[in-house]
Amino acid sequence: MERIKTGISGFDEMLGGGYVSQSANLVEGAPGTGKSTLGMQFIYNGITQFNQPGLILTFEEFAQQYYADAANFGWDFRALETANKLRVIMTSPEVSYSDLGGVDSRIHALISEIGAQRILVDSLSHFDRLESDPVARRGILYGFINSLKREGLTSLLTRESPALIGEIETPEEDVAFVVDSYTLLRYVEIESAIRKALLVLKLRSSDHAKDIRQYEITRNGIEVQSKFEGREGIMSGSPHRMADSFVEAFVRR
Amino acid sequence: MSDPEHDQMQEWNPSASHKRTTPATGDLARRLMDDMDPEVLEFLKTTVNSFVKWDLVIFFYDNPHTTDTADNIARYIGRDANVIQDDLADLVRSNVLEVHTSGNLTVYSLTKNPEVRERIKHFVSASDDRQFRVKAIYHLIRGMQ
Repeated sequence: MERIKTGISGFDEMLGGGYVSQSANLVEGAPGTGKSTLGMQFIYNGITQFNQPGLILTFEEFAQQYYADAANFGWDFRALETANKLRVIMTSPEVSYSDLGGVDSRIHALISEIGAQRILVDSLSHFDRLESDPVARRGILYGFINSLKREGLTSLLTRESPALIGEIETPEEDVAFVVDSYTLLRYVEIESAIRKALLVLKLRSSDHAKDIRQYEITRNGIEVQSKFEGREGIMSGSPHRMADSFVEAFVRR
Repeated sequence: MSDPEHDQMQEWNPSASHKRTTPATGDLARRLMDDMDPEVLEFLKTTVNSFVKWDLVIFFYDNPHTTDTADNIARYIGRDANVIQDDLADLVRSNVLEVHTSGNLTVYSLTKNPEVRERIKHFVSASDDRQFRVKAIYHLIRGMQ
């Protein structure tokens, strides 16, 4: 099975070598957890490390904001656009959904123009305003994700999680059933400090790491680190120490 | 000998307004525009001849691969969709924007024409200069009167 590496050390290992080619991959997290950064890194590394041009479809932030945010990590998105390796497209869910479903698609033209193989869609949450009925909304998301696959793209789709910390309410139409992989980014409170945790919940047709890893957003982008040792209840947002005797017996062996 | 600075002060002095004549205002406008790059001036006169168009041109220059409806573009630039419709149509006529349909949606995007894109770039670079902006604003306000 062909793998599309994210180029993010630690994360590719968790994914068993990278995303599956031409798959749709959901990354969900609260504001500030680094969803867009992870997505930009996926696109930037694709271009610079694997010669795989990419598109960024933004429904939220202006393209110029992406140029600025990327520059903070030393990623020159404007230069990549000039080199015909990248396109940052600002549009809306209704236009992109309609466009990709039509015969004279402008997004398709841009994909062909640069030979795009990867796409970041930031974010799927904006599809919520297209349709109030959850079943109909799921149909729209299905159609949109399938159109990306039809274009031969490996996609990274972000989604906002409303809860900053603690339990997450799952939307009725849950898109997690539609996508091929599902990664969760969470804030975790440990000893009066906020840390960040990453978990691959689902990876269709492949094995993946089941442990919860720490990660940081550094000046080079996201860096996935070691797993949380000796703690449980990480995804609740407020983990507690495992009993020392349990750690002694099972973890430190 | 004529003192240009003194002449200009008279033009802008409200207390001397009774001395103003239409030709004098025209002279000021001409003097303000005289030192402008002719290409940029032409673009300002013929293409970016309203504040809404100015906002639209800057927006599409900064976000060159935008493709969206009038309603959404209006929201992005903080204007009312009804207000920008005519200006979008004018920018399409002057080849700054392209219009196309996607399903039942009318969608606008920046022209792919490299010559027009170069003129836009030239205009945006010029408008980084405060002096230019003051002159251009004066020109636009005169055009609205």
